[in-house]
Order: sequence, then C-alpha cells, then structure tokens
Amino acid sequence: MGVLRRNLTAYGFLCAALFCFTVFAWYPMVREFVLSFQRTDLINPPEWVGLANFQGAVQDPAFWEAWLNTVEFTFLALVCGYAVPFVVALVLNELRHARAYLRFVVYLPVMLPPIVAVLLFRWFYDPGPGLFNQLLDLAGLPPLAWLDSSSTALISLVLVATWMNMGSATLIYLAALQNIPPELYEAAELDGAGIFRRIRHVTIPQTRLILLLMLMLQIVATMQVFIEPYMLTGGGPENATVTVAYLMYQFAFSQMNYGQAGALGMMLMLVLLVFAALQLRWTREDPA
Amino acid sequence: MTSVAATRPKRGRARTPKPIHVQFRTIVSPHQLNSRWGRRIYWLVLAAVVVTFSLAFVFPLYWMVTGAMKTPEEVAQVPPTLVPAQPTLAPFFEAWELFDIGTLLANTVYYALGAWVFCMCVDVAAAYALSKLRPAFGNVILGAMLATLMIPPMVILIPLYVTIVDLGLLNNPWGLWFPAAANGFNIFLLKRFFDSIPRELIEAAQIDGAGPLRVLWSVVLPVSRPILGVVSIFTIVTAFKDFVLPLLVMTDSEKMTISVGLSQTAGAVTQNQVMGGLVIAAVPMIIVFFVFQRHIMAGLTAGSIKG
Amino acid sequence: MRRSTGLLLVTVLGLGATACGSGEPATPAAGGAEAVTITVACQPARTAPKERQAWDDDVAAFMKANPGVTVKSTDQQPCFDPKTFGPKLAGGQMETVFVVPVTNYNDVISQGQALDITSHTNLIKNWNDLRPDARELVTRDGKVYGVPNVLYSVGLVYNRALFTQAGLDPDNPPKTWAEVREAAKKIAALGPGYVGFGEYSGGNTGGWHFTQAIYGRGGDVLTPDNTKAAFNSPEGKAVLQTLHDMRWIDNSMGNKLLIGWESLMVAMGGGKVGMMLGAPDVVTDVVTKFRGKVSDYGITGFPEAKASLSGGEAYMINPKATPEQAKAGMAWIDFRFNTVGKGRFDFARGKAIGNPVGVPDNAVYGDSPTGQAIQADRVKHATLPVENYQSYVEAAATIPPKAEPVHAQEIYAVLDVPMSAVLSRKDADIGQLLAEAETKVNNLLAAKG
Repeated sequence: MGVLRRNLTAYGFLCAALFCFTVFAWYPMVREFVLSFQRTDLINPPEWVGLANFQGAVQDPAFWEAWLNTVEFTFLALVCGYAVPFVVALVLNELRHARAYLRFVVYLPVMLPPIVAVLLFRWFYDPGPGLFNQLLDLAGLPPLAWLDSSSTALISLVLVATWMNMGSATLIYLAALQNIPPELYEAAELDGAGIFRRIRHVTIPQTRLILLLMLMLQIVATMQVFIEPYMLTGGGPENATVTVAYLMYQFAFSQMNYGQAGALGMMLMLVLLVFAALQLRWTREDPA
Repeated sequence: MTSVAATRPKRGRARTPKPIHVQFRTIVSPHQLNSRWGRRIYWLVLAAVVVTFSLAFVFPLYWMVTGAMKTPEEVAQVPPTLVPAQPTLAPFFEAWELFDIGTLLANTVYYALGAWVFCMCVDVAAAYALSKLRPAFGNVILGAMLATLMIPPMVILIPLYVTIVDLGLLNNPWGLWFPAAANGFNIFLLKRFFDSIPRELIEAAQIDGAGPLRVLWSVVLPVSRPILGVVSIFTIVTAFKDFVLPLLVMTDSEKMTISVGLSQTAGAVTQNQVMGGLVIAAVPMIIVFFVFQRHIMAGLTAGSIKG
Repeated sequence: MRRSTGLLLVTVLGLGATACGSGEPATPAAGGAEAVTITVACQPARTAPKERQAWDDDVAAFMKANPGVTVKSTDQQPCFDPKTFGPKLAGGQMETVFVVPVTNYNDVISQGQALDITSHTNLIKNWNDLRPDARELVTRDGKVYGVPNVLYSVGLVYNRALFTQAGLDPDNPPKTWAEVREAAKKIAALGPGYVGFGEYSGGNTGGWHFTQAIYGRGGDVLTPDNTKAAFNSPEGKAVLQTLHDMRWIDNSMGNKLLIGWESLMVAMGGGKVGMMLGAPDVVTDVVTKFRGKVSDYGITGFPEAKASLSGGEAYMINPKATPEQAKAGMAWIDFRFNTVGKGRFDFARGKAIGNPVGVPDNAVYGDSPTGQAIQADRVKHATLPVENYQSYVEAAATIPPKAEPVHAQEIYAVLDVPMSAVLSRKDADIGQLLAEAETKVNNLLAAKG
C-alpha cells in the first residue's frame, strides 16, 4: 500500500473524530481565550474590550469568596475523598468475606445520576423531618443547621460529593493494592516490620504512582464543583458555598455576561494547569 | 490488570476452628490472621465494615424508596417512621405524571444510546487509524486528543456552549452527541488495546486481500470485545448521568433529560413525589450496574493502573 | 475508507436536517390568507392541568377564529428564564411571542432583542386603555417594544385560615410591623412546622424581598443618581433587625432557609405559613401552581407602607419574526390577554376551574373603561369575597409605586448575604453586614460605570 494511499485511508477513518475534536474540544479552548477579551450577548456582533472582563470578574463582590470556598472545598474533599477511600481500600483488601457485596455497595452511589444523590441529600439535610437531624436527635445530640448555616453548609456539600464519588477511588486503590507483589510483605515481615511499618514501607511506596495520579485527578475534579451548590444552596448562606464554577455559571446565565464568565474560566484553567504541571514534575522525579 | 473475579477468595469449608482462607498475601500475614486474636479482630472488623457500609450506602437508598411509599403527611412526620405505615405506590404514579417522566426517560435513553452509537463509530475508527494505519502526524493528533483530558469540562463549558449556540444545535441531540464523541479517554483506551493485537493476525487478513475496513470489521473488532464492552458501558453511563451540558443545551421541556427535568420541577411537588421521581431515575442505572458489574469494575481499573 | 465517508455524510446530513428543521412550511391556507405559524410562550405547566387545558382551549379558539394561523405553545418554566433567553434568541429557538419581566425591559430593548411594534399597536383593541405609565416602560424614543401585560405593587399576603386558627381576626390583618410580629408569634405557636412569617434568603430572592421591605419602610436601595448604595440606613437596619428578632427572639420564622422563588410558594401553598410579602399574583400562583386552598388566602396593604416595589411583565415579539408572524402574534396577545371576558379575563371559566377569581392581581388597565369592565366582570364571577382584598386595593391606590434598582440581579445577589445572615446566625452583626454589602455594591456600581 502506497504511503499516500495509506495516509488517505487513515485520515478517512480519522475525519469524523477530527471534526468532533476540532469543533467541540479544541476550538472551545481557543474560543475561551477569545471570549475572555470580548463582550458578547450572542446576538449582536462581539466587541473587543481588552482586559475589562478580567477586571469585572475580579471586582465581582463574590470573586475572592468563590476562590476561598473552592480551595476550602477542594481541601475538605481531599481529606474525605482522597484519604478515606485509601483507608477503606486498605481495610477491604484485608477482608476475606463479603468482598463482592462491599465492592458493589461502595460503587452503587457512583452509578446514580448526581441529581438523585443531591436531591436525596437535600431531604436528609432538612432541618425538621430530615434524616440527619432525626438521627442526631436519636443519639441525644442537638440538631445541626446543615445547609442553612454558613459554618456547616460547605462541609455538607463535601459530604454529598464524597458519598457519591468515593466508590470509584476506592475500587481503583483496591486494584492497585492487589497488584503489590506478596514477596515484599513477606520480606518486610522477616525484617520484623509491624503492620504500620509494612504500610509505610511497602504499601505506600508501591501505590505511590496511583496515589499521585489520583491526587491530581481529584483536585481537578473537585475544583469544578458545581451541581452541589447549584442545587442545594444557591451559593448561600452568606456566599459560603459560592464556588468558582458556580460563579462562572452566574456570570454567564444570570448576568448574561459570557465574556466575564470566559475570563473567570481562563483563570480556573490556569490554576489547574499549574497543578497539573507540578504533578507532572513530582511524578517525573519519582525514582520508582 | 487483575480481573475482579479471579481475585475473589474461595471460602474455605474447614473444620473448627475454621481458619480464614488466604488466597493471596496482603499486609496482615496469614499466620497473624489465623492466630486466636487475629481471628477475633478479623471477624469484628468484618462485621463493623459490613454494617457501616450498609448504613452508609444502602440505607440512604432504602430511605429514598420508602420515602416514596409514604403519604405527604408521613414523610413530614417527626420522628420519621422506619417502615411506611401504609405503603402506597401512588407517589410513583403521581411523580410519573407530574414530572412527565415518560418523556424525560425516553429522551434520556435516546440521547444515551445515540451518544453510544455515534461515539463508538467515531472513536473506534479514529483509534483504529491511529493504531494500525499510522498516518503522518498521528502522534501529534493523539497527543492533542489526550491533551483535552487535562482541560476540565467545567472550564470550557461556556465556550463549548457558545459554540453549540452558534451552530444552532440548541435543543438538538447532536448538541450532546458531538461533544460526547470528542472523548480522548475512549480513544486512548481503544488505541492501547488495538496496539496489543498481533500484527500477524492483520497481515494474514491483508494477504487474503482484505482492505482496511474489512480488517477492522472482521479482525480487529471481534478480538476487541472486552474493551468495546468497557467503553460502551462507560459512554452510556456517562451520557445518562450528565447534568450540566444537557441543562444548557436541552432547554425545551419536551426534550429535557431526566436529571434536568427532575431538577426543574422538584421544587414544586411534595417530598414523597420527589423521592418517587428519584427512584424512577435511579432504577435504569442500578439495573445496568447489576447486569454489567464486571465490565464496569474492570473498566475502572483499565485506564488507571497502567496509565 | 467508505465507512468513514459514510460517517461524515451522516454527520453532514444531520447538520443539514437541523438547519432545515427550523424553516417554516409556507403553504397558503384554504381561505387564501397567507399561512403562518407562530410559537407562543407561557403555556401553563403540566403541574397545573386545569390552567393548561384552559390555555389549550384558547389556542384552539384562536386558530379557529384566525384561519391560516397555526399556534404552537411552549411551556418552559419559568416562562422567562434569563439563563436561556439570549441563547434561544441567538440559536433561533425563541418563541414568536415571549414574556419579559419589568426587571429585564432595559436589557432586552437596548440590545435589540425585541421587535419594534409601534405600527402594530392598533391590533391591541384596548391599547389606549392600558395604563400610560405601564406603556411608558416599554417605549424607547417614541417606539413601542411590548404590550404591558401585568402591573402590580407589593402587599402582605396572609393565610386567613391560620389567622382564624390562631385566634386572630382575618378581616383585620396587621397594619404595622409590631402587629405583624405579634401575629407571627401566635401562628408559630400553633405547633411544630407552623411558620408565622416566611421570608427568602438566597438565589437572589433574598435581595429582592429586602428591596420590597426597605421600599415599604421609605428607604432606598440606591441613591437617586444610581451611583452609590443607600441601603445602609435606619430603614435597612430596621428591615434586618425585625427579621432577626422574629427569627431568633420570637422564633416565628421556622428554621429552614428558603432559596429560590418556589421554596416559599410551596411552603405558603402547604398551608402552614402565616404571612409573606408579595403581590396579589402570589395568591393566584399559590392556588393554581402550589395547590393552596382558594379561600384561605388574603392580601392587604404593605405594613406602614411609604412606597411599594412595583412589578410586572410585558409581551414582546421576536425581532426575527416576519411581518405576518408579528401580526399573528399581536392578534394572539390581544385575544388571550387583552379581551374583556376572554382568555385570561374569562372569569366565568376561571371560576369553573377553581381559580381564585376576585384577586386584584393586575392593575395594568388601571381605572380606564376597560379596567372597570374587567373589574366588574371579576366581581361578578368572584369566588372569593372581594372585600378580602379591599384593604390592598385601597392601599395600592395611595402608595406610590417604585421601580427596581439598576443592575437589580447583581445587587440582589449582594443583598442575599445580609438576608441569609440574619436568618441563619443569631449573632449576626447587622451594622457590619450592611456596611460590607454597601462597600460591595459601591464597588460594583463603580466597576459598571
């Protein structure tokens, strides 16, 4: 087969994908950049406005709160969504019974459409007949305001997010744990290492790569949090749950300021790219 | 990559005291595990984990289903009842009617299946070209496709949406299907699998005079069933669960997805009806999970372990 | 190779079909009149089946009376959604006839998103009877861009049944904030789940109701020249202090934050909320959309009112509509919304399907002959003792209406913060909250220029 012909054939197979990627993945990235320097209402021709959108975004009353909340949400979500699944996976890996059942139920919430989890928890959080306050009452504890207080609203969102997402992280860790060669544990045991030293010196180094990869994936995933504040709190109370993604949505669809939303999106993209670059460096430096 | 089923330990049916059968070595050594205290702690931990998991992940679903079987008064009752006093299926029918779930569900299934067919055609063809036909700049293209995975969807949501508006694809399923097919992860998974197909297999077919399309259809696809299964399931599940893009693209109440429809009407109906709607929305995915559990779990680890 | 070409073909065809799909068939009607199809917004949702049926009947009657015109309805809820407005217009999805709330008149008209209908106003037979100030709002430089549809000012909506239950006189609703507090306490004392006074705190509705409250007390949100915030004032403090004390000292506001328009409406419809700020349309909505009991709801003038936030909406025409479509659209607006005894003013039918007829929920025709005819008709078919609303009607006649501030949505978002603070924190520092909000609004106004 001639080189030209082979290339033609190959591009024939590729053209549909190239079309999809060009128009719906690559072009939007460029468009984001362009959009952030324009004022557009989607009807009249766009107008170049320089850095006005960035200025407008930074000057928005909720701008800094949104970033703080996003960082806080990401941090809390990492504590819950990153460490907890690892510990859970460690324990699951030691168990010899009910494994299929446990794996099934931990992944069950991941299968549900997010709206189901979110609306279900909205009911649980109800300060009156909601399940959570009723359980607290049963335990003789005072009720919490959950979504209705600026001090507990964000953590309540983290709780929903963790519940509906932790299954996939748990199963990925579990698979990584099962790939650790047993000889390593035997050798560590011969050296007299106890359980915690075995975890520190065998388990963690052996799963280091996956741990790092998951760290990045989770940071990127949680920094985009949207549906939870959108459905549960509307950004309140007192802006305690306004996140960057939520603010972006507000700019675009409540204030009809697509350019300013694009500018905020650019900022979020830059932050996430910095994370990705850092991550890449750590993984590269990793001797393993 | 470990197959899930293969690692499942077989239960030892031994005499008392029943030793805990250990098929593969983990942190705790078999010796420790089968010591007197080891066994006690093991059973304690096992019981604790099973109870905790059931409470954390199954009980909320139980609450959802029973909530949908209570009357509005019972749902709002303090303290709540653990079992509905007079279980009724009425809220399900009311929810079906009020949310117009028939339309919503049909739309969602249509969009998910359409996304699946379109995605498979586009992504399989592309992965095949990149893996077996190796065109000039193939690696550049693959790199650019994988680079899209680094950009979180929420970040390009606004420009993607603006693009869809420009093309006049609002309230048009193609507004969901095109973006769904631009999936770098699918192409990555498929290409990696195609790479592992031995050359000889393909060359043998070529000697028989098969063109690239024949090779794809009768050699590559039949041996790629496992990965096709994984990619299919994930594409369908993702499309079914998607919220933000359909929220923006499918705004017509006749064309909404079930997630968006529920989110829009949930504020205006009673709590038991909301729960009825949620149960109906959750059932298709739970069924898919029951049926394709192994594919889904294998797929979860397929991308990440070696990646 | 062939396969992928086919694929591309399918793709292109798909796009082509999309492009063609939006075109209208142009077959002439039998009567010789030009066939025209229009889409009209605001069909009632499925959750309000009787209202929906009435709408569908009107559509059928209109099409029979206007051969050649095909009317398609859309039932997006809410019927004006800022989220989808611009994109629908840009994407060619906008209805021929759509509704715009008074808050958005400026944006829509100044961005050229509504058709100049000056030459079609003669199609609205009662055009000259519409209130001049309402017509002024949809007019720019002498050109008319909409047909005013609703006009109202805010009062106090209350549940008469709960008043009776709590030993209060439903015919003598509170006239001062002190009386509101007392009544709220008594209603909350009926038992767990009862809320004396319901108020919003998020999703921009908190700021919206703060504006209603501060206007009523004679305060203002912005300075007259729209350059500075003016709500950090004794009136603003009084609004928040009253809410704070009702929530935390009297415990008469329930313990749940209400976010978004529907939340308070559902609670009100559920029959356990005593009072809320609202226009008469709240009564209609609570009954028709949220299954409240018709006879339970009354409305009175705003307590101690010095001014009242005015609200309303107008119908506008898609700027891309053809002249035929525009004419058909105007005819529809005239038929359904501006004819005495027809469409929405068909009070006989409204009574038959259980609507709360008698609520003075629309002052768009004011005291004009048409307005009087509508009012007479409304009284004739009233399902409710109209004297229940007399105090509101009298108050509305004397209290000056006041328009929303500029950049209303952005300012409401800022004002959500103090509203949610006083309703969620006992130790909320009202002075500080208002000072912070003031700074934010001042910065926002400076940035907007």
